[in-house]
Amino acid sequence: MTRQRFAALAAGLLLVLVVASQPLAELPRRIRTLVAFAPKELAVRRLGGSGTAFDRRFFSFLENARRRMPSSAKGVVILGVPWSVPVIYLASYHFAPLPVSFGYDRVPGALPVPSGWVVARYGEMPTPAGPVITLPEGALWGPVP
Amino acid sequence: MTLVLSLLPVAGALLVVSGVGFVTSGAFVPRDRAFFLERLGWSDAIGCAAVMAFVPAALGIGVRPGWIAFLVFVALLVAAARLLAPLTLPSPPAGGRGNDLERRAGDNDRPLPTGEGWGEGRSFRVLLYSVISLGVAVYTLRALTEPMWANDFIAIWGLKGKTIFGAVGYPGRLRALEFAHPEYPLGLPLLYAGLSFLTGRWDDHAMALLFPFLQAATLLVLFGWLRRRGASSAVAGLATAIVAWFEPLYSAFLTGMAEVPLAFGMLLFGTALADTLDETDGGAVRRLALASALIAATKNEGLFLAVVGFAIALVFGKAARWNAAASALLPALGVRALHLPWRSRLPLADLEVGSFSPDRVWDSLAAAGGLLGPAAWAGLALVVVLIAAGARVPAGNRVLLLAAAALAAYLVIPAFAVRGPAWLVETTLRRTAAALAPLLAAGLAVRFIGASSGSGTGRRASAPNPGPPTPSTRAS
Repeated sequence: MTRQRFAALAAGLLLVLVVASQPLAELPRRIRTLVAFAPKELAVRRLGGSGTAFDRRFFSFLENARRRMPSSAKGVVILGVPWSVPVIYLASYHFAPLPVSFGYDRVPGALPVPSGWVVARYGEMPTPAGPVITLPEGALWGPVP
Repeated sequence: MTLVLSLLPVAGALLVVSGVGFVTSGAFVPRDRAFFLERLGWSDAIGCAAVMAFVPAALGIGVRPGWIAFLVFVALLVAAARLLAPLTLPSPPAGGRGNDLERRAGDNDRPLPTGEGWGEGRSFRVLLYSVISLGVAVYTLRALTEPMWANDFIAIWGLKGKTIFGAVGYPGRLRALEFAHPEYPLGLPLLYAGLSFLTGRWDDHAMALLFPFLQAATLLVLFGWLRRRGASSAVAGLATAIVAWFEPLYSAFLTGMAEVPLAFGMLLFGTALADTLDETDGGAVRRLALASALIAATKNEGLFLAVVGFAIALVFGKAARWNAAASALLPALGVRALHLPWRSRLPLADLEVGSFSPDRVWDSLAAAGGLLGPAAWAGLALVVVLIAAGARVPAGNRVLLLAAAALAAYLVIPAFAVRGPAWLVETTLRRTAAALAPLLAAGLAVRFIGASSGSGTGRRASAPNPGPPTPSTRAS
C-alpha cells in the first residue's frame, strides 16, 4: 500500500469517526422542537429552550417584568431570587442594557435602591405601600424617586 | 414574530455584508479563478470586519449606527481599497520547481488540478460535496433549534452586544462587571450589535444564522486554499468534510460563543501567513494583516497567535521575512490599542501569574488526557498518522507549527488558573482546542499536495514546472 493510499484510508477513517461520533439521535428531536416553536414569538422560544431550563418560571417572571418596565427605568433591583450564577447571568442579559442588581434582600444594611431604578420581586414577599404592578410570578414597583 | 420572519432580515443583512465584502475583497484576494472560492470566504470575513468596525466608528463621531452609517463607512472602505496598488501574481520561476499557483499563474483559464489517482472520480467528488453540504445543514439545524443559550453567550458575548445595541454606546459599568470578562476583546459583541443595528432589533435566535454563515465561509477558505495550493479535490474535499462535521466545534453549545469566529480567523491567519512567506500573490500580506486584526479582535489568544506568527515569519521567512512579521503582529497590536478606551484595567479574572508551577503543568496535561474518550484518542492517533504520512511542505509545516503553538498554550495556561488546572481544562480545553480544527486540517492536508496524481512516495511537495515562465500580472 502506498503512503498516499494509507493516508487516504486514515483520512477516510477519520471522517467516519467524526461523523459516527455525532449525537445524531438528537437531530429528530431538534427538528420536532424547531417545528413546534418556530411559529411562536421569540420570548416563548427562549422559554422553551435550554437557557431557561434551570427555572422556566423565573424566565417567565423576567419577561413579564420586562414587558411592564417603565421606559424611564435606569436599572433593576431584583429581590427574592437565589444568588446563583444562572440567575444572575440570565437576569443581567434579559434586562440589558439596563444594569441589574441583586442581594438587596440578603445584605444587611444594603444601600438604598438608587433613584430611577425599579424593583422586581420574584415570588411572594411583602410589597411597599404605593403603586405596585402585580405579575403572575411576583411584583414590580418604582421607579424609586 | 415567527422564526422564519425574523430570519429574513438577518439573512438579508448577511447577504449584504457578504456582498460588501466581495466588492472590497479585490484589495486582498486576486481576481484570479484559482482564488475564487477563497475570495467568497474572505468576502464574509471582510464584511463582518466592516460590521464590527462601523459601530465604534459611528459611535465615536456621535452618529447612531444604522444602514446610512454602514453604507457611508463601506463607501469609504471601497474608496480606500481602490487606492491600494493592484494585486499581482508572481511570475513562475524559469525551469525551477514552483508551487501549484506559480505553475498555473500564467493561464487563468487552465482548469484546477483534478488528478488521476484514487478518489478523483466524479461520483466520489459529488459524494464528498454532498457530505460537506450535509455537515453544514446539520450544524444549521443545531444552531437554529433555539435562541442562543450557552452561559458564555448570556454572560459575556451576548450581554455586551445587547448592551451596546440597547444603550447605543458602551456603558462604563461593563468595564467593572467581572463575570462579563471586561478584559476580553469586543469584536464579537460589536458584530452582534452591528447586525442588530442593521436589522433594527435584537434577536438572539435569528442572529444564530451568523454561525453557519461563518462555518460555510471557513469551509470555502479551507477548500479553496487547499485546491489553489495544489491539493486534489479528494484531499481538499476530505479535509473540508471532516471539518464540516466536526461537532466539538460546530455544536449547539458553541453557537453564540467566540470559538466558531476564532476558528475562522485562525484559518485565515494561518493560510495568509503561509501565502505571505511563499509570496504566492501580492494580496497575501494584506490578508495576513486583516486576519491578524480579526483574531486579535475576537479573543485574547488571537494576540498570542499573532506573536507566534511574527516569530514564525522571522525564523522561516526569507525575502518576505520582515514584511510578513510586521503584518502578522502590528495589526493585532493596533486592535489591542484601539480597545484600550473600552477595556477594563482589571487583570484576567481567572488567571494569576503567581499560581504557576511545573507541577501544575503536569496536572493540566493529566486533566487534558482524562477529558479524551476512546473515540477522541482514536481520532488523535489518525491525526498523528496523517502528520507522519504527509510530505514536508513548508506551508503545511508552518500552519501545523502555528496550531501546535496554540494547543501548547491551551495546555499550559491552566497552570495559571486560580481555581486549579483541572478546573480550567475541564471548562475550556475541549472547546478552545476544537477551534484549532480548521487550521489543523489546512496544515495536514496541504502536506498531501500531488498525493492523488500517481503512486509516488508522497515526499514530493510539488511537480516540476511544466512550462516556460509566463507573464502573470493580474490587476485587481
